Amino acid sequence: MEHSSKSSVLQLGLLVLGALAVLTAVEFAIALTVNIWQALAIIPLIKAGLVFYYYMHIYRLFEADKDVDRESYAYKLATNRLGLWLFLISDSFIFGGLMISRINLLGLTRPELLQVLGLAVTVVLLISSFFANRAEVSMAYGHRRQFILSLTVTLSLGILFLIGVVGVEWQLAPFGPETNLAGAVFYVMTGFHAFHVFTGVIFLAIVLRNGLRGLYSAEKHWAVEASVVYWHFIDVVWFFFYPALYLIGTLVQ
Amino acid sequence: MRKLYSIGLIRGLLWQILGTALGIGILTGIRLIIGLPAWKAESAAVFGALLGSLFFVYGIGAVDDWIKVAAGNEVHEGDESAWGRMRYFGVSLDHKVIGIQYLVLSLVLMVVGGSFALIFRAELANTGLQFLTLMEYNTLMSLHGMVMIVGILVGVAAFMNYLVPMMLGARDMAFPRLNAFSFWLAVPASLILLSSMALGGFDTGWTGYPPLSARAPVGVQMFFLGVSLAGMGTILSSLNVIATAMRLRATGMTGFRLPIFVWGSLATSLISLTATQLIGLSFQMVMFQRLFGMGFFDPAKGGNPILFQHLFWFYSHPAVYVFVLPGLGIISELLPVFARKPLYGYKWVAISSFAIALIGFLVWGHHMFASGMAEYLRVPFMYSTLLVAVPTGVKFFSWLGTLWRGKIVFPVPMLFALAGIVVFLLGGLTGPPNATVATDLHLTDTYFITGHFHDTMFGGYVFPFFAAIYFWFPKMTGRRMNETLGKVHFWLMAPAFIVFSTIMMRTGLLGMRRRIADYDSTLNVTQDHVVMTVAGFLVALGILVFIINAFWSMRKGEVATGNIWNSRSPEWQVSSPMPIHNYDVPFEVVGEPYDYGLPGSVYVKFKEQE
Repeated sequence: MEHSSKSSVLQLGLLVLGALAVLTAVEFAIALTVNIWQALAIIPLIKAGLVFYYYMHIYRLFEADKDVDRESYAYKLATNRLGLWLFLISDSFIFGGLMISRINLLGLTRPELLQVLGLAVTVVLLISSFFANRAEVSMAYGHRRQFILSLTVTLSLGILFLIGVVGVEWQLAPFGPETNLAGAVFYVMTGFHAFHVFTGVIFLAIVLRNGLRGLYSAEKHWAVEASVVYWHFIDVVWFFFYPALYLIGTLVQ
Repeated sequence: MRKLYSIGLIRGLLWQILGTALGIGILTGIRLIIGLPAWKAESAAVFGALLGSLFFVYGIGAVDDWIKVAAGNEVHEGDESAWGRMRYFGVSLDHKVIGIQYLVLSLVLMVVGGSFALIFRAELANTGLQFLTLMEYNTLMSLHGMVMIVGILVGVAAFMNYLVPMMLGARDMAFPRLNAFSFWLAVPASLILLSSMALGGFDTGWTGYPPLSARAPVGVQMFFLGVSLAGMGTILSSLNVIATAMRLRATGMTGFRLPIFVWGSLATSLISLTATQLIGLSFQMVMFQRLFGMGFFDPAKGGNPILFQHLFWFYSHPAVYVFVLPGLGIISELLPVFARKPLYGYKWVAISSFAIALIGFLVWGHHMFASGMAEYLRVPFMYSTLLVAVPTGVKFFSWLGTLWRGKIVFPVPMLFALAGIVVFLLGGLTGPPNATVATDLHLTDTYFITGHFHDTMFGGYVFPFFAAIYFWFPKMTGRRMNETLGKVHFWLMAPAFIVFSTIMMRTGLLGMRRRIADYDSTLNVTQDHVVMTVAGFLVALGILVFIINAFWSMRKGEVATGNIWNSRSPEWQVSSPMPIHNYDVPFEVVGEPYDYGLPGSVYVKFKEQE
C-alpha cells in the first residue's frame, strides 16, 4: 500500500463497494425469482472473500517482520493484528453455531419479514463498510480531516443500521420471540449481530473522539485499524445472515 | 477499612455485590415502567449476576488500563516488585503471578467440587436415601461435574500461563492486560456458578440437556451464566497463549525445538479458542428459551432438543482434550528428566498433540449414539472416535521408549507422572468400548462411562498436574516440597483411585446407572459402593496431605534455588524463584530440547556465556 498512491487505493475501495453492491443485487434478484439456495450460499462467500482481502487486509498477517526488535512498535503491531484475527476466528464460531441452528431448525423456510427494510439495512451496512475503509486509508496517508469525515459517516450509518433492525424491524415483525420457531431464530440471530454492531459503534465512537483530539498519526493508528477491521467483520457476518433470514427458502406459515 | 478496600479481591467482591443489587433493581424498574409484573425472580437473578460480574472486573481494576487508553491516556506497566505478597490478591500483569492465582483458584474449586463428591459418595454407600433429598443429591452431583470442569480449565490455564512464556524465553505473555482480565473473569464466574445452590439448585447433571434444563429451578440459569463467563475467560486466555507462542519465541526456537508442553498448550488453545463459543451458545440459547419463551429446544414449538446436544458436545468432547493435552505434555516433559534419556520420537509426539486436537473436532456424535441422533451418523462417528487412539498410542509408545533402559529415579514428580501414564492407559483402553456403537448401547449412562471418564481425567489431568506442582514448586517459591509427605500423598491417592475407578466400571457392567441417588439392593453392588466410598475418602485424605505439605513447604521447606532436577529447560538455568521479568539476559536455542544423557549436547545458550 505504501507504494501506491492514496487516490488509487480509494478507487479500489470504491470498486470493491461496486462489486459488493452488484452481488447483493444479484442475490436479491435470485431470491425473488428462482430462489436457488446454492447460489444464495455461494454469493456471500464471494462477498466475504472480497472484504477479507481488500477491506480487512488479511494478507498483512503473512507479511514478514521487517523489525525483529520485540519492543518495537512494528513488532507489537503485528502481534496485535494476530490477536485480533484470533478473536475474529473465535467469534465466527458463535455466528457459525447460530447459522447451523438456523439451518437445522428452519431448513428451507424463512420468517415473514419486510423485504424492503432488509435490503435497506443491508445497503446501509455495506456503505458504512466502504466509509470505514476510507477512514482507515485516509489515516494511513495522514489525511486527518477526511478520516474524521469518513469515520463520522461510518458511525452514523452504523447507528442507522441499529435503528433499522432493533427500532423498526423488531417492532414491525408480525411475531415475537415466543410466537414460533422462526421468530425465535430471527430474534436470536439479529440480537447477537446487533450486539456486535453496538460494541462496534462504541469502539468507533471512542476512536472518533480520540481522532478528534489528534491522537493518531499515519504511522501509529492501531486503534483505527482494529476498530475498522472489527467493523468489516460485523459486515461480513451480515453478508451471511441477510440471505439466511430474508432470502433463502419459502415463507414459513 | 480503607486498608481492606485497597485489597483488590475484597474491592472486587464488594463491587460484585453492589452490581448484583443494582442489576436486580434496574431490571425490576424497567419491568415496572413497561408495565410488566415488577418482580420476576429469574430475570432479576440473571441480570443481577451478569451486571455483578462486570462490576467485579471493573471494581478490582482489571479494565482500568483499557479505560485509560479509551480516554486517550498513555498507560505503563507499573513496577510490581514493591507490592510483595499483595500482588497475589489484586490485578497483576505478571504472567507468573497470574499463573499462581489461577493455580490457587483451581485448587480451591477442585476442593469444593471434590467435597460435593464426598457428600454424595457417602450418601451412595447404602441403598435408600440416608441424609440427602433427591434435589440436594442432584444439585451436588451436577455441581460436582461442572465445578470440577471449571476447576480443571482454570488449572490448565494456570500451567499454560506460568510455563509457556518461561519456556519460550519471553518476558511475559503477548497481551498481559488481557491475561489479567481473563483470570479475573473466572472469579465472579465461579461465584455465580456456586450461587446456583442458593437459588434452588438444579437437577440436570453437568450436561444441562433441555427439555429438563428448560424447566429446572432458577439455579440452572446461574449454572449456564457462570459457565458462559468462565468460557469467555478461557477463550481469551487461549488466544493469548497462541499469540505468545507464535510471536515471542527465543531466537533459534523453531517449531521442532519447542518444548512438548508448548505444543500441547497450542493444541489445547486451538480447541478452546474456537469450540468454547458453541457451548456458550448452546447454554445461552437455553437461557433465552427460559427468559423469552424462544422455542429452540421445545418440541411443542417445533424446536429440536437434539440440536442442543450437537452444539454442546461439539465443545464438550474436544474439551476433554483441552484438559488432558497439557497434562500429557507435562508427562513428556518430566520423563526424560528423570530417565536421563532423550524423549523418544520427539517430532511424532509434537505432531500427535495436534492430531488429537484436530480429530477431536470430528468425534462429538459418539455421546449421542443412544439419544435419537440420525442413524447414518453413528458409524462415521464411531470410526472417527476410534481414530483418536492412534495419536494417543504414539504418545504411549514414546513414553515407553523414553523409559526403556533409562537411569530412572523416583522422586515424587516422577511417581505422579508414572501414575498418570498407568491411569490414563486404563482410561484409554476403556474408551473404545464406549466408542463402538454395539457395546456403547449397553454401556451408555452406566457407571462404566463414569469410571472411564474419571480415569482419563485423573490420568490426563490430576496426576500430571500434581507432578507439575511438585516439579515446579521450587520455581514458584524457592523451596522444594517435602518428599516424605509427597510420598504419603502419592501412596494414599494412587492405589485408592485405581481401586475406585476400576470398581466403578465393574458396577457399571453390572447395571448400575450413573447420576442416580438410589439403587436397587438386588443389583448386588452395595459392597462395591462401600469400597468406592472408602477409596474416595482416601483420595481426599491424600489431597489433604498435599495441601498441608504445600503450606508447610512454602514457609519451611528445604531451600532450593538452583537446578535441583538437573533439567535442560531454560527456566531451570536461572535462579528460583524466577526474577520478575524472567530472563535478565536473553538466551538462544542451539540444540534439541530433550537430548538428556548425550554428551556435549546443549539446548539453550545464554548470551552472557559467549
